[in-house]
Amino acid sequence: MEIKTVGVAGTLESSDIQIMVSAGQNGIEIDLESEVAKSYGDQIKKVITDTLKKFGIENAKVKATDKGALDCVIAARTLAAAQRATETTDKPRLEVLQ
Amino acid sequence: MTYVKNRLRRTMMFVPGNNPAMVKDAGIYGADSIMLDLEDAVSLTEKDAARMLVFNAIKTVDFGGAEVVVRINGQDTPFYDEDVKAMVRAGVDVIRLPKTESAAMIKKLVADMEKAEEEYGVEKGSIGVMAAIESAKGVLNAPEIATATPLMMGLAVSGEDYTADMHTHRYPDGRELEFARNMVLQAARAADVYAFDTVFSNMNDTEGFYRETKYIYELGYDGKSLVNPRQIPMVNKVFNPTKDEIENALAVQNAIQEAKAKGSGVISMNGKMVDKPVVEKADRVIETAKASNLIDEEGNYIGE
Amino acid sequence: MDKTVELFLTLPETKKRWQKFLISQGINNFSSREVAVIDHTVGLIDEDGQLVGTGSIAGNVLKYIAVSNDASVQGARFNQIVSALEEYLFSQKIYHSFVFTKAKYSASFSHLNFKELAHTDEAAFLESGTPNIQDFLAKIPRIEDQNHKKVAAIVMNANPFTLGHQALVKLASSENDLVYVFVVATDASLFKTSERMELVKKGTSEYPNVLVISGGDYLVSQSTFPAYFLKSPDELIATQTEIDALIFKNTIAPKLAIKKRYLGTEPFSRTTNFYNQSLKNTLSPKIDVEIVKRFCNNDQIITATRVRQLIKSNNLKDISNLVPTTTFDFINKNYQILQERIKKGMNINGN
Repeated sequence: MEIKTVGVAGTLESSDIQIMVSAGQNGIEIDLESEVAKSYGDQIKKVITDTLKKFGIENAKVKATDKGALDCVIAARTLAAAQRATETTDKPRLEVLQ
Repeated sequence: MTYVKNRLRRTMMFVPGNNPAMVKDAGIYGADSIMLDLEDAVSLTEKDAARMLVFNAIKTVDFGGAEVVVRINGQDTPFYDEDVKAMVRAGVDVIRLPKTESAAMIKKLVADMEKAEEEYGVEKGSIGVMAAIESAKGVLNAPEIATATPLMMGLAVSGEDYTADMHTHRYPDGRELEFARNMVLQAARAADVYAFDTVFSNMNDTEGFYRETKYIYELGYDGKSLVNPRQIPMVNKVFNPTKDEIENALAVQNAIQEAKAKGSGVISMNGKMVDKPVVEKADRVIETAKASNLIDEEGNYIGE
Repeated sequence: MDKTVELFLTLPETKKRWQKFLISQGINNFSSREVAVIDHTVGLIDEDGQLVGTGSIAGNVLKYIAVSNDASVQGARFNQIVSALEEYLFSQKIYHSFVFTKAKYSASFSHLNFKELAHTDEAAFLESGTPNIQDFLAKIPRIEDQNHKKVAAIVMNANPFTLGHQALVKLASSENDLVYVFVVATDASLFKTSERMELVKKGTSEYPNVLVISGGDYLVSQSTFPAYFLKSPDELIATQTEIDALIFKNTIAPKLAIKKRYLGTEPFSRTTNFYNQSLKNTLSPKIDVEIVKRFCNNDQIITATRVRQLIKSNNLKDISNLVPTTTFDFINKNYQILQERIKKGMNINGN
């Protein structure tokens, strides 16, 4: 999938995560800000990476600001950001979440 | 999750569909039904993201046994089609259609759901529908709306939009809603579906909330829509049966058991025949009493 | 939970309520320099209908952010406000934003993935989103083995590019292997950013070791700095100069191996000399700062201000003594347009 613009989804409020996806060249590069980065950083990045790959994005820069989101929230926000970045929001790819 | 036509629905708590903190915790307050909102609580720019969040939440979050209802966007919006598909795919219990004004709108919803059920391999008829009545036209057509489909779970009065449509607004005494409340309730009862009252949003007016809740309970409503979890125990308190009602209901159930044991087709109590509405009322009372921990497993009254 | 609402400051009652809240939070400067540029304002309303938080957007800058001091919810309210402001920015397709705030609030923004660009004792300057300063620097062309070369920088507004600018570039070019000329990118001058870039490029084309780069968001023009929380205009200039210099010193210069910066004097501008001096104080000794005396042509001091005044007073002939032919040709060709802009109220004073 081609990234056409910057895609953002999610908020900075408690239990949410804000995901900003933009074009990149070196695989999935994630800049994560999270209070629980030490214990859960790898897991958060894995959910983001898996979701993007499943959606069909191999290269992207991702800025993630986590406020304690569950995995199901991380995946939903990542997919929403990815669809916005690829300008495909009119065709939700919910199978990516399953 | 599968739709159950008859169950306890005293409280239907509204939860903004794009707020993970509130969606995540929705199950811990003991609401009978949780209504995840994709409509008014979600800004236009966030419809796509909210849909995905709600989809994933339905699939993974534990809502503590509450019925899960999703209010989708109206049929006059560009979000409706994908909302229906996503919620069928997620396997929600009930889809709530806002701004319902006719049976045709409900029939369209059911047809769209069937199409999605087929496409995504979801069992047909496993998801219920409910109609939000929010306009004069909706109120007048409530009877045909209530009977539009066998999948109809219930009707809900939505006071804000309705009063605006009626060129008025909400008042503390609720007289502006009198006709709508009665009409919707009549239609629901005649069609054997549930009836839900509108929200009461002034959290500081506890007295007013109790007054309104008592009023709609006395009218015969099954439940009330809520915006704040603090209102759940308040509604339950109003809907709690009295000790006498419970004892009477237990007696009715007893009579049924005895009749069954005797192999008798006629149930009688105190020399009178016990007919269907009485039996159903007794079942409702006992169910409510159990949910509120007013009786134990053996049927002993343990309320105050 | 508090409700996020849009506040329309054009409505007098709303504006009064907003100001009253900010004053209660210790913010007192509502000068038009600060308020007139606001594009969007949000408020938080609690269950009692009280305003308990607010924040505004001006361009891509977050400002006038305040939340009530109820400690239990302060963090949540702050996050809710910033979130609402970002949602607005994203809806405007603005994915890169800045905040200029009291130093003590820097950490609160850092938790929301804002990255600090610089801070002084008083203030901090942070950015969020994409593309960020690293992306900006990564796009700047480099030469082979640049880290071991003599690299210098000049920052100019070039409004427009004069013989004075050209002489400064020529000097730097002769003394270094590579010279970056950063053109300040703010469209608040008589000559638009694109025009100024073009004139600098044309006017320096004879020096092969000069690279002309847009200053982007990081060589910040004074007008974009919100300073409503600083006490005085002098403090404003001092703070923004220091922030400016710190970004250059700590981030831009190391990445591009810049070891020297050339500054031109401005004989008639107290601000510029003050600016030069404080720039030197911050940059030295890590960066070698050379302040070069303003060039003259037939005893006439060459400044861009003078050029603009001559355009206004319709004196095309004298302009030719102050600017290279490339700039003169542009002015000559666009003479009417430039005069139109002045007539329409474009300020020609300043640098």
